[in-house]
Amino acid sequence: MRTENYELLHTLLDFGEAMLRSGAEIYRVENTMTHLARAYGATEISIFVITSSIVATIKLPNGYETTQSRRILNASGTNLETLEKLNALSRKCCKAPIPLHELRKEIAAANSRIGLPQFLIGSVLAAASMCIFFGGTGWDAVAASVFALLICLMQKKLSPLCPNNIVFNLLCSFLAGVAICATARMIPVLHTDKIIIGDIMLLIPGFVMTNSLRDMLVGDTISGIMRFTESLLWAIGLASGFMLAIWMIGG
Amino acid sequence: MHIQIITALLGSLGFSLLFGLRPRYLCLASLGGGICWAFYQLCLQSGLSVFVTCLVASAFSALYGEILARIMKAPAPLFFIPTVIPLIPGSTLYYTMRSAVQGQLDLAADYGMQTLLSALAIAAGVSLVWSVFFMADRVEEYLKKK
Repeated sequence: MRTENYELLHTLLDFGEAMLRSGAEIYRVENTMTHLARAYGATEISIFVITSSIVATIKLPNGYETTQSRRILNASGTNLETLEKLNALSRKCCKAPIPLHELRKEIAAANSRIGLPQFLIGSVLAAASMCIFFGGTGWDAVAASVFALLICLMQKKLSPLCPNNIVFNLLCSFLAGVAICATARMIPVLHTDKIIIGDIMLLIPGFVMTNSLRDMLVGDTISGIMRFTESLLWAIGLASGFMLAIWMIGG
Repeated sequence: MHIQIITALLGSLGFSLLFGLRPRYLCLASLGGGICWAFYQLCLQSGLSVFVTCLVASAFSALYGEILARIMKAPAPLFFIPTVIPLIPGSTLYYTMRSAVQGQLDLAADYGMQTLLSALAIAAGVSLVWSVFFMADRVEEYLKKK
C-alpha cells in the first residue's frame, strides 16, 4: 500500500534532516539516505540534498513510486554527538533494519541538544586557549573567557530573534566588540586585540567554509556555492560588527 | 612555542566540548589539535612558505580524521573539526579589520590577502586528502563487485 511508502519516506527525511542540522556534508547525507532506503527494501531510489532542502523519491516492491520533499531552515549548527549517533544508527539499520516506528524513536533520541554546562565550558576553554595561543597574557585569557560567556548568552537568547545568521553575526560581534573595547580602555593591562581574536574564533565560520569547498569538489556544486556564499556573508557580518565597535571606541 | 602547542591542544578540547563531542573521543580529538600545530611549526621551521605549511598541516588534520574514523568506526568530522582549529586564521582576520578601520589600507589588503590565502590553503589541503580517500572507497567498491 501507498502508506508504506509515505511512512518510509517520512522517516528517511527525518534522518536526512537530523544529519544536515548536525553539520554533515551533503555527500554523506545523500549516501546514508540511499543506503538506508535500500536496506528498507526500496528498489529505485533517487535522493537530492542541498543545504536548504531534501527531495526523495523511492519505489518499493509494491510497485508504487512516491516523492516527498522537506524544506530545511537554518541548518548551520554542528553537533558531533548527533552525527556520531546517526552514523552508528545507520550502520546498524543497514545490517538489520529495525521497525520504522523504532527507527523514528531512535532518530529523536539521537537528535539531542548539547548540554548547557558542556557548551559553556567548551566556549570558555576555547576562547581562553585561543587568546593565549595568539599571544595574549593570562589576564587577557580571563577577559576572553568572560566575553565568551557573553557570546554564549547571545547565541542562546539573541540568535532566535535574528532574521538570519548574517544579522546575528553582525549584532553579536558588534555588542561583544563594544564590551571588549570598553573594558580594555578601563583596564589598561588588557590587550584588546588578543581578547577579540580569542573570542572571534567562537564565531568564525571556518569549518562551514572548508565543508562547502569540499562539497564543491565532490560534485555537489549548488550546495557548495550556497554554503560558501553564506559563510562568506557571515564572516563579512562578523568583521563589520567588530570593525564598527573598534571604530566607535578604538582598538 | 611549547605554550602554543599546549594551548592549541586545549583550544581543540574546548571546541570539541562546544560542538558536543562525547567524552570517549575527547582525548584523541584534542590531541589532534596539538599534533597539528606541532606539525605546522615543524614545517615552518624547515623553510616551507606559510601557504604550503598551512596546506600540509590541514592535509595532515584531514588524514588524522579519516584514519581515526576508520579505526574508531565513527564519522571523520568528529576528529577532523577539532584538529583543524589551530589553523583557522582568526588573528589575521582581526588585523585586517583593525588596519581597515585605522585607514591603513595597504596593511589591510596585506592582512586580508593572508587571511584569504590561509583559508584557501586549509580548504585545498583538506580537499586533497578527502578526494584521495573518496577515490580509494570507490576503488574498493569496484574491486568488491568484481
